[in-house]
Amino acid sequence: MTTPIQPRLTQVFRFVRCSYANGVAELVYAFDHGEELTERVSFPNAPPIPAHHQAAFDEALKLLHLIAGVSYYKAGVPPRIEVAGGPLDDATADLLDALYLHGLAEFAYRNGLDLRSRIAFPRGGAAKPEAKALSLPHRTLVPIGGGKDSLVAVEAIKSMGGEATAVWVGNSPLIAACAERTGLAMLNIQRELAPGLFELNRLGAWNGHIPVTAVNSAILVLAAILYGYDSIAFANERSASAATLEYEGQLVNHQWSKGYEFEQLLGDWLHAHVAADLDYCSLLRPYSELAVTRVFARLTPYFDVFSSCNRNFKLLGPKPADRWCGQCPKCHFVFLALAPFLAKPRLLSIFGRNLLDDENLAAGFDALLEYQDHKPFECVGEGAEARAAMVALSQRSEWQADALVERFRLEILPQLDEKELALEPWLAPSAEHRIPARLQPALAFFA
Amino acid sequence: MNPQSPASLPADASWIVMKFGGTSVATLPRWQNIRELVASRRAEGARVLVVVSALTGITDALKQLCAQDDKGKRIEAAKAIAQRHYELLDHMQLAVPDALGDRLAELAKLADEGPALMGELAWSALVQAHGELMSSALGAAFLTHSGLPTQWVDARDCLSAIALPNQNERTKLLSAMVECKPDPALNARLAALGEVFITQGFIARESQGRTVLLGRGGSDTSASYFGALLKAQRVEIWTDVAGMFTANPRQVPSARLLQRLDYEEAQEIASTGAKVLHPRCLSPLREPRVPLLIKDTNRPELEGTLIGPEVREHAPSVKAISARKGITLVSMESVGMWQQVGFLADVFAQFKQHGLSVDLIGSAETNVTVSLDPTENLLDSDALAALAGDLAKVCRVKVIAPCAAITLVGRGMRSMLHTLSSVLAEFGQLRVHMISQSSNNLNLTFVVDENVVDELLPHLHELLITAGALRTDDSALFGPSWQALYGSGEVLPPAASWWRQERRAELLKLGAQATPRYVYHLPTVRQQARELKSLAAVDRLHYAVKANTHPAILKALAEEGFGFECVSPGELKAVMAVVPASAPLLFTPNFAPREDYAWALTTRATLSLDSLYQLEQWGELFRGREVVLRLDLGRGLGHHEKVRTGGSGSKFGLPVEQLDAFLRLADTHGVIVRGLHAHLGSGILDDGHWGEVYSQLASIAERIGSVTFLDIGGGLGVPSHPGEARLDIAALDKVLREVKAAYPHYQLWMEPGRYLVADAGVLLTRVTQTKGKGNGNIRYLGVDTGMNSLIRPALYDAWHEIVNLTRLDEPATALFQVVGPICESGDVLGTDRRLPEPQEGDVVLVAQAGAYGKVMSSPYNLRDEAEEIILE
Repeated sequence: MTTPIQPRLTQVFRFVRCSYANGVAELVYAFDHGEELTERVSFPNAPPIPAHHQAAFDEALKLLHLIAGVSYYKAGVPPRIEVAGGPLDDATADLLDALYLHGLAEFAYRNGLDLRSRIAFPRGGAAKPEAKALSLPHRTLVPIGGGKDSLVAVEAIKSMGGEATAVWVGNSPLIAACAERTGLAMLNIQRELAPGLFELNRLGAWNGHIPVTAVNSAILVLAAILYGYDSIAFANERSASAATLEYEGQLVNHQWSKGYEFEQLLGDWLHAHVAADLDYCSLLRPYSELAVTRVFARLTPYFDVFSSCNRNFKLLGPKPADRWCGQCPKCHFVFLALAPFLAKPRLLSIFGRNLLDDENLAAGFDALLEYQDHKPFECVGEGAEARAAMVALSQRSEWQADALVERFRLEILPQLDEKELALEPWLAPSAEHRIPARLQPALAFFA
Repeated sequence: MNPQSPASLPADASWIVMKFGGTSVATLPRWQNIRELVASRRAEGARVLVVVSALTGITDALKQLCAQDDKGKRIEAAKAIAQRHYELLDHMQLAVPDALGDRLAELAKLADEGPALMGELAWSALVQAHGELMSSALGAAFLTHSGLPTQWVDARDCLSAIALPNQNERTKLLSAMVECKPDPALNARLAALGEVFITQGFIARESQGRTVLLGRGGSDTSASYFGALLKAQRVEIWTDVAGMFTANPRQVPSARLLQRLDYEEAQEIASTGAKVLHPRCLSPLREPRVPLLIKDTNRPELEGTLIGPEVREHAPSVKAISARKGITLVSMESVGMWQQVGFLADVFAQFKQHGLSVDLIGSAETNVTVSLDPTENLLDSDALAALAGDLAKVCRVKVIAPCAAITLVGRGMRSMLHTLSSVLAEFGQLRVHMISQSSNNLNLTFVVDENVVDELLPHLHELLITAGALRTDDSALFGPSWQALYGSGEVLPPAASWWRQERRAELLKLGAQATPRYVYHLPTVRQQARELKSLAAVDRLHYAVKANTHPAILKALAEEGFGFECVSPGELKAVMAVVPASAPLLFTPNFAPREDYAWALTTRATLSLDSLYQLEQWGELFRGREVVLRLDLGRGLGHHEKVRTGGSGSKFGLPVEQLDAFLRLADTHGVIVRGLHAHLGSGILDDGHWGEVYSQLASIAERIGSVTFLDIGGGLGVPSHPGEARLDIAALDKVLREVKAAYPHYQLWMEPGRYLVADAGVLLTRVTQTKGKGNGNIRYLGVDTGMNSLIRPALYDAWHEIVNLTRLDEPATALFQVVGPICESGDVLGTDRRLPEPQEGDVVLVAQAGAYGKVMSSPYNLRDEAEEIILE
């Protein structure tokens, strides 16, 4: 045992080593010369790695090691980063510098830190030859998050008759219930954080938001090579790319690792380093939140299992309040975005209450509307989408008299530019996406 | 066959109609049961008419047959249905009786023909009628064969459907109505045929001779029709539950069986939620005054619910409380409706046009609010949006949902309003959207937000009992609880009170020496402590010393390994003077001055903070300290009037929405949040609540790296009323362990107070005098202390058992208001207590006075304070 360290006073963050055996990947990190922090990621019923996939697998494992390190790095954000295997090639270093800097931007903002001088992965290593195609089977990993988006992605792939597996990391009973409801084959990967991280927290580590979608992406890349999938289809909308605010000259986007920039960086990196035929994309990228909620409003069978709420419900109950806290921005946004597309009593039965008739929530909805406040740090749609949804409701008699709709109509709406408030433009897709040709027929589901 | 068969009945012997549902007629053992029950009624000297449903599943199978266009498949379906009956006959070791053979042949023919000849609806009605025709034919054969000669009666020959205005062909054939007046001719005709009869539920015949169905609840309704026609002695509905309850047992397991109801009350209860009886089956019985008895087929020894004409001899009581969820309110506001002819007619025409049916109505001069039940049309079409759009042209519309209608049912509701103050106070804390009470004075309905109902209902049920509005003390009206009758877990009987037997003589001696006196029984404190220690999920228990700070109790609990939770420097000093230095201490004050915190920091106590102010203004005081943050998890947990400690109406805790700000301040001042604490209120008997607080705290703790323990407070309920179940510690442990398994990295703390000491203490006082008022109808029993010693009854309407210890074995013959000598009209220790005739100097014992008794006493009126005595 070494003496306890003060996480905020550490000097070096070290990527010590990573290994894989019998379905378990071990990722080891350390601060200075402190105790090793070992994270384990377990892949159920893992098949042996085919010999011709080994190189790809090793690259994917290395990527996972580098990306998953963000959970530990942020505990101390020391000024130096060391990688045991030697310097990274420039493309890899670029990817990680970008991920750590932008993915931790909100964390930095909240803790009053400037990471720009700190995040510099060692670079200059030799680049490996371009990765080849591995003839991966034509099937798709669809990560399930328990919210509406991944369920829309699932149904879109089902609609084109595509083969897919519902995959999720961790043991959320809510996600398991949603995955079950999809009727797809299921894959549940377990991630066990290093226990030492809890100890660091106890000792006063920095805390805050990390780009968890990037970590999950890296886990799924490894899974795709291990089990054989040619595509990983996330369900990140267009609006995930929009920044939440600007802080000391840096854009801060809560969902940066769900944004298009990261999707492009990782997708290209995978083609070059792992497998030319492994596609990483978001199936919902062409669409706005509103376009996605409009489609989700047709998917009645999911209404009593899904939740986009931010609170981590580890124990499920039958009541809406067991899935929707009603307090967080996610609850507010999903409520608002679904409202134009569902019968009001149906919507209210999903949430168990009427969030738009609760004056105490005015500040929360103001934040969504970007009125008197910045956009909240959550995975929610753009302010303009929220405003468009609110305008639509303000024109409907069954909503008009609700406290927050009325407030919007009387107080906020007169200050807005009418030309930018229509709902319809949000329902049109954009052309910007990386959906591979094989999966493009799924987009017909959104028509 | 049956040599003990009683002599044949006189022609005018009265009738008993017995109805058995589908599961009751589906197996041989069930039929054997029916046979026993019928024979016992026959032995009472009554003619018996048995009304049966189709075998379970047969009506559905017949409906599917009807929906089948393919003739071959219809014939297959009819064969499968026949097979079900053959199998049952096989078990009965009976040949196919002719009557059943005829029915099966007719069904096969109907399946073959299809609807073309008779018309869809008439054919479908006749096909579906076969379920009951076959089960009754089978039953006649079985009963006759087993020694109870039974005549088969075709219900269609007895029940004639009437034509009603607004009836279409569908309702005429598939949900018909029968008008029933006592029919002496039918009575005589049947009496001439025999003594035991069997007939069909659900079916009748209309004026053109076609078979019709009675629709939902049809078999029960048939039984009622026959009861009325024959002017029966009673109608018995045999089902799978003993009757109606004071609440839906799924929501309120402690709901009590209702043993007597009048027709109107029962109909109201059936309409507002109880599923055991269809509301329409009571009206035929009302005029001929035929009672209806609900009985449990599996538990015939239970009394059941007897529904009859109004019962006058009972004190008015609320009979039931129910909740219907998924209600949508439409509120319409306009000055246009004021004195404007036809305005409401126009408004209601809109509801009709959009296919939405209105249930409750509440109105003011400028507002009408109506409720809509949850229908598919409401949930999944744009009907409501269209309605709102149309209504908006004439008034201001507001759609309020999701709501729930909570209804209190009882005859003479308006005369009980004064007893409902605590119930009304509860509603005062909620958003009540509408209150409705109709002129029949049977109900009082509150429409509230749906999300409060699950927790609210058991609590209201409890409050109704406590307030004396639901008089469960009247054993003629109220039977055992559902929990006691059907609960899966063991029902925990109330613990035997130490003072009733083993220590009574000692107490009488103590009482004779001097009163008022508090007496504490330490073995009970230890026993309660050990029970809580059996909660495996709990890592640390603190005694909330505010309940009782007697040094002997503190010492006893320290010996049991408890920590101590104190809310003031005084309490901390009292505890530290008595307990060993190793005992953990918690300091959880509320709105305490800065000096209190400063002083507590000099002790070993763990401090809890509960506002931003404490860090904003005194942050440096806490630098480098580890603290507990007391959170207010908000509304929805713990609906308790004066003892509730969550929600913005309560002064306790930091609102969750200020958590981030608190954490930033903590960081600024180097304060480490080591624990989270929430306390949801007091007197909670439902184990689920703690699981909710626990998991909610845990999910919040996950956002704060430094937290290592969660304190879910106390508030463990202690039952006070007779018949109330104890808190199920094993069930609580299970709930807590489930949460612990999900969040193993947090230690779990609790801080019970009252649970440990309430039952251990009693207050002894002596009778001073009695007084009668109102022609002696109201009798007061005076004792030598009151609210000065025990303020809980006055402060919280708390109910304490009161006994005359001197005359414990004498019959309790009269009702008393037990009052103290304090010059306050609120100085009442107990209302309407049934006690033996007292004499001056009798020792009276007030039970459960160990918690919040002595510690809350006052020198008011400068009366001597009660002495405290410890029993080892």
